[in-house]
Amino acid sequence: MRSKSLALLLLTAAPLVASAKAKTIDELAAMFDSTRCKQCHAEIFGQWEKSHHARPLMGVAGGLMMIPVVRSSAFQLKSPKDATLKTFPCFKCHLPQAVTHAEDSVAVELAQALWTASERDAPEKDKAAAKAKAAKLQITCIVCHNEKAILHKLVLGAPEKDVIYGAKDGPHGDPTDKVFTKMKKSAVLGQAVFCGQCHGTGPNFEFDYPIQCATLYGSYQHNYLGKGGFQSCQDCHMRKAGAKSDHTFPPNWNDKEATSKMLAEGISLRVETLGYQWLRKAGALTPMIVVNTKIDNKAGHRIPDG
Amino acid sequence: MTTKSTDGKEIFKDERHYHPQATSCLNEKMVYGAQNKSSYVRDTSLQPFETKAETFEVKLPEGVRAADVTVELSYEVQVPENKVPIHKETRRVTLDR
Repeated sequence: MRSKSLALLLLTAAPLVASAKAKTIDELAAMFDSTRCKQCHAEIFGQWEKSHHARPLMGVAGGLMMIPVVRSSAFQLKSPKDATLKTFPCFKCHLPQAVTHAEDSVAVELAQALWTASERDAPEKDKAAAKAKAAKLQITCIVCHNEKAILHKLVLGAPEKDVIYGAKDGPHGDPTDKVFTKMKKSAVLGQAVFCGQCHGTGPNFEFDYPIQCATLYGSYQHNYLGKGGFQSCQDCHMRKAGAKSDHTFPPNWNDKEATSKMLAEGISLRVETLGYQWLRKAGALTPMIVVNTKIDNKAGHRIPDG
Repeated sequence: MTTKSTDGKEIFKDERHYHPQATSCLNEKMVYGAQNKSSYVRDTSLQPFETKAETFEVKLPEGVRAADVTVELSYEVQVPENKVPIHKETRRVTLDR
């Protein structure tokens, strides 16, 4: 019992020290578990918990969005045990830590969960357990503030395992945190290009079936910037309250009211109407109403996109 | 956009849809789902810094000189029935001056 507790403590205290890759969903979740961040960053953590980053494998309204991937897409499986990291191209953006830190066995375990959750005759408790298992996989604080924090690895090196990347340099915490002892300023965390790592530019040609998901960053670059826009993703989707940025990353599609408000702020609708009688030729008056609508998009990208 | 006579009878209804449209590029059929889409073939989305202008012409039935026009803009999430409302405008339009 004592040695088991000690081993567990070591795993929690040093999530990125182990060089071995995660073999199970629980191991991968533990490796990137960020609940300890809550101690000092409770407000931001609470915001993140409400965001889609906290549920990247759960589609809008809590559905398991990857069921069609394993059941009916070009990546479909004959059996969950055939799953590999390659059969989940979605991991590139929806679970990037799996690409670098997981073994194929994690893909098998996830595929099994998706299989169970979508099996018509599976008991409801098994389906619920399968869904809960998939829900453990999240884009946590460590993913953005360490794993994905450095883009220019050739000149800046890889992210350091004991560093949290953010807005400034210095010791991390007072007293200093035992795991992430240092803070370093990220060159890109506050720029749109950071978000572009996952929020897409177009077809992902590196896969053997070129999937295309989000293309927000492409739209931002080629349409918004091209027409003279200057704002970043963070300016609208991580608005600052004082020194803190909003980590709910709106919109939250599960909160219709807030989403409706955000969309209404970003999209305007003008309506003009006219009632008259149109004359095609002498004696042939046609009474009609004409409705003109004009919709303007104030966002930094096409709507809709993801 | 819906037009009803002043006693509530629907005279006209039309919809426009704004979204990027992708296929697998293996055939001509539009698909949903990132795992199926390979590239856009058409894009009617609302674009930044661009005005999307539409005109609807409604011929009025015999004897009708006024109608109520409702324009609703909504975001459909995954399925048409799951709408997030954005704007709604209603006007009474008359031929009378």
